[in-house]
Amino acid sequence: MTIQNRDKFLDHLAERLGQPRHQLATHPYQQLNDLPQQTLSDKTPAELLALARKNSEALPVTFYEVAPVELPQLLTDYVTDKGGGPLLLPTTSHFADYQLTDWQKSIAADQTVNYWLPDADRATNLKAAEIANIGISFADFLLAESGTVTVSTNPGQGRALHFLPIHYLSIVPRSRIVARSTQAVAWYEKEQAAGCLDSSAIHFITGPSNSGDIEMQLVTGVHGPLDVTYVVVDD
Amino acid sequence: MGLSTSTLPFKERIAAAAKDKFAHASIAKAQDTQYTKRENARAELGNWQDWRKLGQSIRQHVIQYLPDYLEEFSDNVEKRGGNVFFAQTTDEANDFILNVIKQQQGHHVVKSKSMVTAELDLDKKLQALPDVSILETDLAEFILQEDDWDEPSHIVFPAIHKDRNQVHTIFKKLGYEGDNDPEHMARFARKYMRERFLEADVGITGCNFAIADSGIINLDTNEGNADLADSIPKAQIVVMGMERLVPSMKEAEIMDNMLARSAVGQKLTTYVTFEGQQTPGETDGPENFYVVVLDNNRSKALGTEFQEILQCIRCGACLNVCPVYRQIGGHGYGSLYPGPVGAVLSPILGGYEQFGELPFASSLCAACTETCPVLIPLHNLLIKHREVETDRLNMMHGFTDFQMKVVGKGTSSPFMFKMALRFKHFGLSPWTHQKPVTATNFFEYNNSMITKGPGMVGGWTDVRDLPVPPKHRDDFRVWFKHHKKQGGDAK
Repeated sequence: MTIQNRDKFLDHLAERLGQPRHQLATHPYQQLNDLPQQTLSDKTPAELLALARKNSEALPVTFYEVAPVELPQLLTDYVTDKGGGPLLLPTTSHFADYQLTDWQKSIAADQTVNYWLPDADRATNLKAAEIANIGISFADFLLAESGTVTVSTNPGQGRALHFLPIHYLSIVPRSRIVARSTQAVAWYEKEQAAGCLDSSAIHFITGPSNSGDIEMQLVTGVHGPLDVTYVVVDD
Repeated sequence: MGLSTSTLPFKERIAAAAKDKFAHASIAKAQDTQYTKRENARAELGNWQDWRKLGQSIRQHVIQYLPDYLEEFSDNVEKRGGNVFFAQTTDEANDFILNVIKQQQGHHVVKSKSMVTAELDLDKKLQALPDVSILETDLAEFILQEDDWDEPSHIVFPAIHKDRNQVHTIFKKLGYEGDNDPEHMARFARKYMRERFLEADVGITGCNFAIADSGIINLDTNEGNADLADSIPKAQIVVMGMERLVPSMKEAEIMDNMLARSAVGQKLTTYVTFEGQQTPGETDGPENFYVVVLDNNRSKALGTEFQEILQCIRCGACLNVCPVYRQIGGHGYGSLYPGPVGAVLSPILGGYEQFGELPFASSLCAACTETCPVLIPLHNLLIKHREVETDRLNMMHGFTDFQMKVVGKGTSSPFMFKMALRFKHFGLSPWTHQKPVTATNFFEYNNSMITKGPGMVGGWTDVRDLPVPPKHRDDFRVWFKHHKKQGGDAK
């Protein structure tokens, strides 16, 4: 099994279209206009930050801007505010990048802290996500237009880390605030083409899980986290 | 039930829909609410007409080169370690999916919302498997499942026809003891479904867009159920209509923005996910990834005047502006795909014998065409269906055909036309009723009304009275000619 019934299926489509197959190399798609690239392109970094805050808070997302030195205390306060652990954290060098290694030790002394482990099996990591009261991760980007954080899956940060915990906090450096999804997708495509990113899943997360399926009344937390917090760290 | 959601004749479906006052009110509310949200979201983006042209160009290019994009996509799924099955028919697709579940020794299947799996009637097939449980995890689909697999009535809001009290009754059967507050009921559903998610071994999802150049798929949801369905189970089966492709993530991102603004008035849906076969070293996500690409008569639209319907991105905006959908709701159409898009698509997928009435269930006001984010000329396609049915297939038999022939003869002959004008008042007198004079109609010229007209006129008088045409001597042209002869001022 890999690909089944393809040629007969595609030959039939080509016949219906009245043209031979394998035309794409000489007829690639050409983008009709540059609206995706131009939209919000005139915004300064300060304007993008203000826009990101406004759009995130409207979702609603709790939005913080902190200096790196303030980050450990903010995280400790957040954990306390949300009722403590178990926490689920990714295995990543970002903790060291943000000088959070001491915070990791101190929070582990007070709370149950689990990590998404590259060498653990599926059941172990999913169990850690299932029981997590709080999930914390590092975002690749924050999109100003929509108040969206983007994350990519890797061995130290699985998909379920972003969906199973009850409360979810995402840390993103200020320099990674971009105008909209266009810039984030362009970066992911470039990294993948260069072989620098080998991920099976990229998630764009815009606030807490929600639904309007009962009488169109918006309710949060149907499947994913009940609430979401973004922390923009000044870099 | 597959593509067809009712065994009742069209007129009976409409009569039943008209009686459902709650559904009627909730659809009106949804349309009005969505109108404001959608138009605000589009206005905020700016240059909406140029965005529409951009979206159209992407979708048209994909459809024009569909075999090549499908080949590229399937090659890339295979390169990532996944599998692709091309299914001409629903039976082929179902057989493949059931076999995969057996091979995977699946016992607990979780599904996220997918119109194509509903087209396959997959739930019923899965229910027939021994030792296999099935759970629809979109909140609306979950409600429908627990209400004895009730049929959806909207592309984006499948349970729009149910109120909170009906949902409350359904949830009480599952052990819910709380009140009918949607937030409380949603929390109950979360807990109920979470337990089943965690034991799931097969996830079945739809696909908003398949990315040709990377062999991954793009899913847009607000609840996050699709993300759990593609994270927790070891196997994932993606079921997609063959036309749901984009060249790359770059175009998917454009379509995601347009879809969210058009469907629910959001800038992006809460979760926009690009995912595929698990990469070595990762511990969740599908270790076994399957994509089923379904034709099921979509190819009948290729190379015809109906090709543009395959551009559709299932935003449901055309339903949300349609005055006919507002009146008869999703169930009135009797098709899984209701509203204007359904009235165009259903006869292609299911044939004119089954869905031939749907192209006539339109006022041709063109609101659908005006709102479509990818510029599908929906009302023109409805007219083309009518042309096919009347001219090419000659499907208008019996009294309707006779009436149209009489009208054709009468309007093509000046003599006959003049005679018809001369005798119209007298000719309709058997159906004429004099309305009692009241304060509101006291000064009206003519209180004579037809309340139950003959033949095709009945289509009008079923819903409103038709004023009786004036006597020949009172016709404007006759009066004008007479007035001029007497030397009157034409002003």
